[in-house]
Amino acid sequence: MSQFSLPQNSKILKGKHYKDETGSNNIKKVNVYRWDPSKSENPRIDTFEVDMNECGPKVLDILFKIKNEIDPSLTFRRSCAHGVCGSCAMNIDGVNTLSCIKSHLDIKGELNVYPLPHLKVVKDLVGDLTTLYKQYESVEPWLKTKVGEKTTQEIKQSQEDREKLDGYYECILCACCSTACPSYWWNGDKYLGPAVLLQAYRWINDSRDEDKKERLKKVADELKLYRCHTIMNCTNSCPKGLNPAKAIGSIKKMLATS
Amino acid sequence: MQNKNNPLSPHLQIYKWQISSLLSITHRIVGVINILAITLICIWVLSLLLGESNYEITQVFLKSFFGKFIIVFLCWTFSFHILNEIRHLVWDMGYGFDLKVTKITGVLAFVGSFVFTILFYLIGKNIF
Repeated sequence: MSQFSLPQNSKILKGKHYKDETGSNNIKKVNVYRWDPSKSENPRIDTFEVDMNECGPKVLDILFKIKNEIDPSLTFRRSCAHGVCGSCAMNIDGVNTLSCIKSHLDIKGELNVYPLPHLKVVKDLVGDLTTLYKQYESVEPWLKTKVGEKTTQEIKQSQEDREKLDGYYECILCACCSTACPSYWWNGDKYLGPAVLLQAYRWINDSRDEDKKERLKKVADELKLYRCHTIMNCTNSCPKGLNPAKAIGSIKKMLATS
Repeated sequence: MQNKNNPLSPHLQIYKWQISSLLSITHRIVGVINILAITLICIWVLSLLLGESNYEITQVFLKSFFGKFIIVFLCWTFSFHILNEIRHLVWDMGYGFDLKVTKITGVLAFVGSFVFTILFYLIGKNIF
């Protein structure tokens, strides 16, 4: 049975309140999830008052401003800051997205920032994605061919076949979709989740790949695939505007018709 | 992961409801209610076998305000389940995954279920 409430050690407490010291007239209250592995305390929500007159437009800018000027211990993942690498995925205002492409202007009132849902927290906004990466490995995300073993020539792909990968190859594996999926929350150890299934479809759908049948067979599992109930939280949250629900639907259809 | 003591990040508690996820959970709950309702209807039909007096008990119950409320409510649960199931069938055929389309069909199924309920009610009242 799924546990819908948080375990005892994960209950969130009220944390510190960092009052604004600049006397600015444009203040935004930012509530951030904090957990320090070096202390044996429950996670807490710290409230920071941020002077928005001296801050960039993105949520990531706010986090950097807090880290630089208010509390240097604030921990989060980030790298490219342009929505390409997928490192800064987190739950902002209740929906998973990349903090580097989310404007704080879209959010009225206080800003709530949490780590990606239903993950073991490593520190503050950093969640542990080990399971997801293992699952990604399990779909063998590389080209498998017999031709490639014999010839040194490139394997050609027609323009139409290449277009079939549009909407799938763009995935940056930020895990926004998988951690938005209630099915993945309750069955994350067995169900592959939208991100990994989208990747699986990307390889099944590649005209150059010669392992399509095996790939389909491997993914055709009551738990691995059919835990998807088209809740659509994945597609709703994808910061790249992709459609994992459609990819999963396409795999199901392929299995039903093959 | 090094230890089991790391907390679990909040999920249901903080995730914002989307139209799609709300309809999905409603579909599930309504499905359970429908199964119970079908069982009740079977029991009711069975009770008819036991004679007139049993029929009267159900008659009295169903004519009470509470009974009527339950019947109208069941009209809605069945309507909603059927309409939303049509969405699922279309998805299974590989269509209608576009975000805008799912939103429109979702609202249609929800509003449609109330329209159906009202229609059933009116038909039951012999308005037409």
